[in-house]
Amino acid sequence: MVIDSQPRQALVRRVTGLARSTPGRLGLLVVVLVVASVASGLLSTWSVNRQELALQELATRSEPLAHAAQEVYRALQDADATAASAFLAGGLEPRELRERYEADIAQAQAALSVATASSPDLTATLSAQLPVYTGLVETARTNNRQGFPVGAAYLREASGLMRTQLLPAARELYRSETDRVARAQDDAEFPLVPVLVAAAFVLALVAAQRYLTRITNRLLNVGLLVATGAALLSLLWVTTVSVLVMNDVSDSRTASSKADVLAQARIATLTARGEETLTLVARGSGQAYEKNFVEVSGRLRELLEQAGRLDPSQAVASATENFRQWQQVHQRIREADDAGRYAEAVGLIGNPHFDSLDRDLVRAIGEARQDFSDEVAVARASLAGTVVGVLVLAVIGAAGAAMGLWQRLKEYR
Amino acid sequence: MRRRLALAAVLLAGACSAGPAPSEVVPRSVAAPQPAGASTVTAAPGSAANPEPGCDATASLRPGPLPPAGQMPAGSTMEKILQRGRLIAGVDQNSYLMGFRNSFTGEIEGFDVDVARQIAKALFGDESKVQFRVVTSAERIPMLRSGAVDVVVRTMTINCDRLRDVDFSQVYYEAGQRVLVRRDSGITGVEDLADRSVCSASGSTSLGNVVDRAKTTVSVPNWTDCLVMLQQGQVDAISTDDTILAGLAAQDPYTEVVGARFTEEPYGVGIPKGQEDLVRFVNGVLERMRADGTWRGTYDRWLGRLGPAPAPPAGRYRD
Repeated sequence: MVIDSQPRQALVRRVTGLARSTPGRLGLLVVVLVVASVASGLLSTWSVNRQELALQELATRSEPLAHAAQEVYRALQDADATAASAFLAGGLEPRELRERYEADIAQAQAALSVATASSPDLTATLSAQLPVYTGLVETARTNNRQGFPVGAAYLREASGLMRTQLLPAARELYRSETDRVARAQDDAEFPLVPVLVAAAFVLALVAAQRYLTRITNRLLNVGLLVATGAALLSLLWVTTVSVLVMNDVSDSRTASSKADVLAQARIATLTARGEETLTLVARGSGQAYEKNFVEVSGRLRELLEQAGRLDPSQAVASATENFRQWQQVHQRIREADDAGRYAEAVGLIGNPHFDSLDRDLVRAIGEARQDFSDEVAVARASLAGTVVGVLVLAVIGAAGAAMGLWQRLKEYR
Repeated sequence: MRRRLALAAVLLAGACSAGPAPSEVVPRSVAAPQPAGASTVTAAPGSAANPEPGCDATASLRPGPLPPAGQMPAGSTMEKILQRGRLIAGVDQNSYLMGFRNSFTGEIEGFDVDVARQIAKALFGDESKVQFRVVTSAERIPMLRSGAVDVVVRTMTINCDRLRDVDFSQVYYEAGQRVLVRRDSGITGVEDLADRSVCSASGSTSLGNVVDRAKTTVSVPNWTDCLVMLQQGQVDAISTDDTILAGLAAQDPYTEVVGARFTEEPYGVGIPKGQEDLVRFVNGVLERMRADGTWRGTYDRWLGRLGPAPAPPAGRYRD
């Protein structure tokens, strides 16, 4: 400490000595303004870059991953409902149901491989159990084809595996990925600190101008004027762009929550369909499935109402209408089954309202995702060139301040 | 020389220094799934602690002459069923040969199902006027008590314990409990189960009969769930009535029924407690099936693979 104190005291003496003379003060001012200009410019650049990265993450990673996770969930739920329907049909399974099941498994697998890259822990259960599930379904199918009732037992086991392990894991994955979207949207928040620093820098330049006017009796210093102009322009640019981006991100939040509600509605639709089918498969001992159907239908009704408030589009209106008709047909199915008219009940389950509802929801989800994508693209477009612009303005500001003060400093030589 | 030694030491040290452990892929195996509702049982559930003295379970009520189809006595249970337009029968759709779903037609068929159809035929003159409600073993008594079904025809053993809750028709089939195993298991009968695991349906008499004889007992909702567990190697044996086992063995040629019958399981039609008129009516239907050869025809159709038809059980009545 004792040894160190010598040079430090010398430095302090030199700086305070400089500050005592006018040329010394001017020299210090040059250094301070140049450093402040570069620092403020870099801070703004960093914040704009952060927004750009957040938007890029949203557009190219978070949203596609959230969609992949939703696709895993949907495809699994649909595969389970379809396998049950194929069983219910009796005889050789209808070709279109088999194809639908195979498409579901392929889609689940493809979406799973997309999601695995980002969340290997959350997809571990899904990756491990999906082949077990398909194996059970194939065993069920083989036995069914030979007319053995043990086929139905394998199908029940497969469905149990789906409900207790695969679907909860898929639900967790979907939640985690939608949270990631929300976090990326939070990252694109308003850059308050950099904007305040830039404003403080503008004020500092104005103060420097007034100081110069006082000591030199000249009204304006061109160099400082240019620097002030550049700093002001940079401040306005960053503020305007950030407000625009905030606006777009807020719109994208609306779009992504709309897509989320619709995706949940679609999953609820498929769940309800599965329960409806299993009630008939159980032939009179399916009270638990019917109870689930009523529960899921109630949730689906709420989700559709919520979607209608968020997005009063034609697709959502049509979905709501198809839901209403499906519920009416379901009443008739239950009446027929409860009255012992089983064949009539099985015949009614092939009604078009479920498929129409599903198609409407696919359309509405597609529209909401397009809205989201548009908003993010607009936000990214408004950020274009900002980084370079702000950096150039920072250099202009630093150069202007240095040159303006250098002229005054020369007068003291 | 010294330098060379030093170099060797450095090289050795290099060879010994630990790099990161090679990565492992987890999981290496996945726990095999089990049928929904499978659980391990340690004691027979609610077995008869004190059977009522003098209980003669298989003695039923003597039938009178059968009324003509479609003309049931006024105020009788049968008349109420007639007015509804269909008989509601609790059956199984998972016991191959006794009550099972024909996967080609989607219809429920089997020995028990034909008995239910004969009752419908006697009531309506039309054996198709019957609604089948699938019930698990454990649901049979609750369904009868709640009135959700008119009759239960589902491999239901008559015993004194159950007679406290429901009534039974006379015996329509004499089954007995045996053991189903994989052909290469080395198990030859119920005696070999002491150090093995066995599967049985919950709420069945079979479960109570075997739980003390096996090392571990697993209960499942349906008999086919037991076959799933046997095929997946999760249990060593299945023990229940030979009728049900024959149906399971028919679905898997790698299994066989072993050992002698170690219980007697007289099957009766379950009827809600106190409906004596319906008990007498069903007994009349069963008498007629024995007399006109329908019983033998039904046996040959479904259970012929067990061997030639035995004599149908003789009616025993307590009045």
